[in-house]
Amino acid sequence: MAISFEHVSYTYQAGTPMANTALTDVSFTVPDHGYLAIIGHTGSGKSTLIQELNALLKPTTGNVHVDDFTITPKTTNADLKPLRQHVGMVFQFPESQLFEETIRKDIAFGPQNFGMSEAEATQLADDMLATVGLDSSYADRSPFELSGGQMRRVAIAGVLAMRPQVLVLDEPTAGLDPRGREEMMTLFERLHREQGLTIVLVTHQMEDVAQYAEQVAVMRQGQLVKFGTPQEVFQDPDWLQANQLDVPRAARFAQALAAKGMQWGQLPLTADQLADQLVARWPQRGSADV
Amino acid sequence: MANIIEVAHLSYRYRNGEQDADQRPALNDVSFTVQAGEWLAIVGHNGSGKSTLAKSLDGLLPFTEGTITVGGITLTPATVWQVREKIGMIFQNPDNQFVGATVEDDVAFGLENRQIARADMLPRVQAAIEEVGMTEFAHREPSSLSGGQKQRVALAGIVAIAPDILILDEATSMLDPQGRREMLALVRQLRTDQHLTVISITHDIDEAANADRVLVIDDGRLVEEADPATIFAQGERLTQLGLDLPFTSKLQAALRQRGITPPDGYLTTAEMEAWLWQSLSNT
Repeated sequence: MAISFEHVSYTYQAGTPMANTALTDVSFTVPDHGYLAIIGHTGSGKSTLIQELNALLKPTTGNVHVDDFTITPKTTNADLKPLRQHVGMVFQFPESQLFEETIRKDIAFGPQNFGMSEAEATQLADDMLATVGLDSSYADRSPFELSGGQMRRVAIAGVLAMRPQVLVLDEPTAGLDPRGREEMMTLFERLHREQGLTIVLVTHQMEDVAQYAEQVAVMRQGQLVKFGTPQEVFQDPDWLQANQLDVPRAARFAQALAAKGMQWGQLPLTADQLADQLVARWPQRGSADV
Repeated sequence: MANIIEVAHLSYRYRNGEQDADQRPALNDVSFTVQAGEWLAIVGHNGSGKSTLAKSLDGLLPFTEGTITVGGITLTPATVWQVREKIGMIFQNPDNQFVGATVEDDVAFGLENRQIARADMLPRVQAAIEEVGMTEFAHREPSSLSGGQKQRVALAGIVAIAPDILILDEATSMLDPQGRREMLALVRQLRTDQHLTVISITHDIDEAANADRVLVIDDGRLVEEADPATIFAQGERLTQLGLDLPFTSKLQAALRQRGITPPDGYLTTAEMEAWLWQSLSNT
């Protein structure tokens, strides 16, 4: 099991008059090499939850397990380095954290900070640059000459250079154009499939949840209110809409046809799934001129 | 209808030190007009030059070639303030555009700049905040609001100064889907209530669908100009132009791959539903 939350609660400024409970009794598990999407309205606790994954926040009560690491309310900051290396965090607008003169130096900064030699870190930086789809001609350029989408790739390369086994992504495609979004999501899918990275994705893009995630956690007011496969979670569009969450376009479309009387087996979540079901019931399939 | 904006042969080149010489222009001989009351969408992928265009209209970038006329005034360094009176702009990141300590202060800022008397200012601020549905947040700190609420406050700031033109520069791209829908509904309402001309720079297909006309910018050039349905009919090419495919186009493509031939061209959701329903009932 890659990730396990056991009755995790978190209160900001606990024990003060400003105390504010952000997570209440959250429990779930993600299998090895899983792909979890976390959805929920703004302020529902998504960002707090992901910060528990590398102990940026420690549970007020309960335990968090990430592979061989266990984070408890008593975990001290002294021994977090291996955990922080193991869990790579890509925060919103990670390009705002670029700072070095060249792209190579920026990507190599993390590994060097964790004790890698300059030569090794430089080699790793070049590898990571290729992984995120930028050719080696970029290595000596300033990260600040790049477009927003390219800067974000460099920032992600910097996280990947730590060789994390779990990659946590907080709205990684915000502000990118549709093509940039798709390239970014394909990159994560590849890392997940080819290198077995466990992915935790916080997103508002339900199409991405439908297409990529294996499990979905729905957060509301600090509580985990639904957990399951995309099929299970999106099965009930009325419930989602009542919780101010979108359903994928294909599911919405299928719902509209259902209102006219069409019966669906499993609610289709993508255009391909929808087309498959439509084709299966298409009249006079393959014999149009009969 | 009269043209409220006329842009003729506009070119712009960013000056980035030594790389100057071989850099292509961010805008290259762009000409178009906008009618008063029109909603115009400007689309293009990241880096196509569409935001440069928006900034040029507001006199935020000193273009060197071409002319821009806004409400009959030709944009020059001498007239830039007159032109800005006519234009309200909302940018992508709501956090970069707040100055006030409270929502109310922030909305009042534009009026203070225009030296409106306090007695006139207060009702205008309150009315503007009410118009965008943020009255209960009037005394809150802007930083405590959600992204969608922040953009509403930014809209209230614009309502208060009552410009003729509203420019949205990817103003919904950082919002969640619900925030985005609410903001677009609000812009539609303001457009009617305040007789605004709306220019939205976007790659959101739903936002572009609101427009009367869509301009496509690619590599600094204006490459296409048409109504949304004509633009949406272009299928896969839309992705290259920086727009997402409409869901109906994705479904048309998925059906074609499976040997079923849906009607060509752009179908609205309702048209697609009707066609499917008819085809499937035809047994």
